[in-house]
Amino acid sequence: GDGRFSARSSSELVAYKNVNELPVRRELMIQIDQKNEAVLLPINGSMVPFHVATIRTASSQQDTNRNAYIRIIFNVPGTPFNPHDSNTLKYQNCIYLKEVSMRSKDPRHSNEVVQLIKTLRRQVMARESEKAERAT
Amino acid sequence: MTDGGHLFNNVSLEGRGGTNPGQIKFSSIGLLWKKSGGGKAVEVDKTDISGFTWMKIPRTNQLSVRTKDGLYYKFTGFRDQDVSSLTTFFQNSFGLTPEEKQLSISGRNWGEVDLNGNMLSFMVGGRQAFEISLADVSQTQLQGKNDVILEFHVDDTTGANEKDSLMEISFHIPNSNTQFVGDENRP
Repeated sequence: GDGRFSARSSSELVAYKNVNELPVRRELMIQIDQKNEAVLLPINGSMVPFHVATIRTASSQQDTNRNAYIRIIFNVPGTPFNPHDSNTLKYQNCIYLKEVSMRSKDPRHSNEVVQLIKTLRRQVMARESEKAERAT
Repeated sequence: MTDGGHLFNNVSLEGRGGTNPGQIKFSSIGLLWKKSGGGKAVEVDKTDISGFTWMKIPRTNQLSVRTKDGLYYKFTGFRDQDVSSLTTFFQNSFGLTPEEKQLSISGRNWGEVDLNGNMLSFMVGGRQAFEISLADVSQTQLQGKNDVILEFHVDDTTGANEKDSLMEISFHIPNSNTQFVGDENRP
């Protein structure tokens, strides 16, 4: 619905409101939840959701052993376009997750994941900046 | 059950290697988990258990068991009614009341880092996003003044069935943060 995105800053975006809204995991692998604009990362046996707006870049690489590497860099204060620079005071005692690197057994999956994250991120960012413009 | 134990048939052991389906039995002497079809087993004597934690995850519940040696195990597949019956059982048989933790679902990447024994928890708004055992960390690095990098052992021996496995994670501690007491030199 539209009400969920009435917040002005992208730092207010929330992926889920209830734990049962999370997708049921099939396998311990990176999952993209388009509907809730979330990226779920397998960390230590759990699927951990991140809103796509917290992600700055996603990239993949492949080595000669057919291992693929996925690197996700998150927004942190002090980087351009960070949502927190305007109200750093509120978050001054926070610690930020900055980067997660994973190795994937499936190069096709890793490329797909990176493309999906990029596309979803672009869509969300476009919508949010449009919303911000209309608000001013 | 004749000895007053509790048996659950669809309980998976979760870890960095992935998910292993199996069954778990709790009895007055401790717990025993066995992988379906044999192979791996986890046995913890009640005198070695230091605590339990429940967490609700999508469609099911997860139990974390911490041992006095600093090890921990995560088991998934408990129904809501199992949570209440086991909580009573743990209190009566082990004298331990499980903690309850909530999973962070907001999707935010900022919060607090809690260190408890060799467990590092990343907490977002009082809810847990993830936990890392420092035993799995092969190296820590300080990058610049503000970033801490944790590198993980790449473990190919556990019959890892997870498709994507964690290699590296980094945290950013802004200059404004005066509360972080600094664990850059650990472990």
